[in-house]
Amino acid sequence: MNRSPNPPNHAVHYVDRVVKVIAYFGSFTMASLVVITGIAVVFRYIINDPIFGIYDVSEMVLLTTVACSFAYGGREGAHVAVDILGMIGGRKVTRWTDIIVRLLGIGIIAVTVYGLLVQGSCGMPCGHFTPNLAIPFMPFYIILSAGLGAYGVVLAAEFLDGLRSFRDFVDPNEKNN
Amino acid sequence: MSDIEIGILGFVALFVLLALRMPVATTMMLVGFVGHLVLNERGALPTLAGETFHIPHVLSLTILPLFILMGNLAGISGMSRDLYDAAYAWFGHWRGGLASSTIIGCAGFSALSGSSLASAVTMGRVALPEMQRYQYDDKLATGAIAAGGTLGILIPPSAGFVIYSLLTEESIGRLFMAGVLPGIMLTGLFVLVIVAITSVKPELGPAAGTSMPLRKRVHALGRASWIIGIIFITIGGIYGGVFSATEAAGIGVILSFLVALFRRAFTWQSLTGVLMETLRSTATTFLILIGAFVFTPFVALSGIPNALLELLAEVSPNRFVILAIILIFFVLLGTFLEGFAILVLALPLVQPVLEQLGFNMVWFGVLMVIVLEMGLISPPVGVNVFVVKSIAENVRLNDIFKGIFPFWLAMGVALIILVLFPDIAMFLPNTMYG
Repeated sequence: MNRSPNPPNHAVHYVDRVVKVIAYFGSFTMASLVVITGIAVVFRYIINDPIFGIYDVSEMVLLTTVACSFAYGGREGAHVAVDILGMIGGRKVTRWTDIIVRLLGIGIIAVTVYGLLVQGSCGMPCGHFTPNLAIPFMPFYIILSAGLGAYGVVLAAEFLDGLRSFRDFVDPNEKNN
Repeated sequence: MSDIEIGILGFVALFVLLALRMPVATTMMLVGFVGHLVLNERGALPTLAGETFHIPHVLSLTILPLFILMGNLAGISGMSRDLYDAAYAWFGHWRGGLASSTIIGCAGFSALSGSSLASAVTMGRVALPEMQRYQYDDKLATGAIAAGGTLGILIPPSAGFVIYSLLTEESIGRLFMAGVLPGIMLTGLFVLVIVAITSVKPELGPAAGTSMPLRKRVHALGRASWIIGIIFITIGGIYGGVFSATEAAGIGVILSFLVALFRRAFTWQSLTGVLMETLRSTATTFLILIGAFVFTPFVALSGIPNALLELLAEVSPNRFVILAIILIFFVLLGTFLEGFAILVLALPLVQPVLEQLGFNMVWFGVLMVIVLEMGLISPPVGVNVFVVKSIAENVRLNDIFKGIFPFWLAMGVALIILVLFPDIAMFLPNTMYG
């Protein structure tokens, strides 16, 4: 993931390791989602005895999978951006704009994480639970904030790495803006 | 400053940030949140947090990662290759037959994967070496792959339709069914383009050898029966009302997994690779959806959609002229914005207008997805073109864009046909759902 002419950045290296662990967990929950959907189908159509509330479980597993995907997507350049500036202005422009863009990204992710934690802390009295099995949302608010927070950390690490490689011809995290 | 002026300022900020290469999702979150903060301070943070939590646990969105996973599994199990081989066996000996086989292979693979990128990459890797071996013109070969790949978001299951359904609250099942006949029609138009090109200049797509004996053709078709069977079960199951789209996705993944297992296509590396690739696509779609759902309330609060409706009504009283303006606007957006970005950015703006004008939103969904397809292969940021370029490293980007142009025109023709004959899109959903 690191294409800088500088020696590898330790912060980015450690972030990559953590992101990979999160992604492996996300892969596991995705596989679980397939299994749960399969079980639901078998019980509904073959055994003819639908499992009550199984889709509540599906929803929460989906949320966990999505939460685990953000940081990995960030490192893999999955978050869609329009790169016309890079074609027109080249590195001499993007080395400045990337700093602004990453800071703004960190800012909005931080606000979102804060908002999720505030909203999630209200818990059951605010009706934060699934409709059938009454699974409380609070832990999943925390999981989602952690997932988004990890993406924020990715952006922060890339921001620092970008500063470090400011004068280089290539941003080491070019595709991950 | 009026609400509408704040809304316009929001759009200006949005396009400035996009031009600065800020990801579409975080840009929409930022502009949506700040705009909401200005218009209704108390509602901004709850909207940001509420939508961010809401989107990842919408049950119907389970089909996004599941169908993407299904397509990825089909890729590693060799089923996509079988599909191409079958088309090759039947049509390869025709002039331009390999390019037509690529289009047909892409269409078949699209019925198993909701992603146009996956279709272009998977079929491109299989088809391009064959076309180069038979001295196909680079422009025709790469154009066919890039254009064929776009069928991935029209032929169900389609990620484009899933996102559209969430944004417009239309039924996913209806949208999927509405995409079937236009998908087949567009496949036919693409093949016609190839036939026309190779009729005028046969040297661009020479026949690949002689016709195969019937036994070999049937054998190739037999090998492709795995993938055809899975498509039949999943899409047929939805059409027959046997199971929901989400359940179909789950069944499709399990069947694709079993085929890959049966064919011993799995290694630890390929399995984790498939899961990671699916996780990557999951991140793309869900974060962009969150951005869209944070941005939409700001657009609604600003009152821009109503102002736009009034403006368009002044331009012309004819609703089809307004439709044409909107579609041309989307095609222009497609030249510099990525498909999903257009969908989530522009739809909240035009949906109220279209509904007021009495257009059927399922039918418009099909038009919109074709416009997104055009965006996928339009210069300078056509994503599919860059994907094809990554496979065809020796072909110049300009040549790929030139090769795509006839297919792009065919999409325009498909749009006109669908506007003139909306029943092509609405026949299946109407017969199925009434």
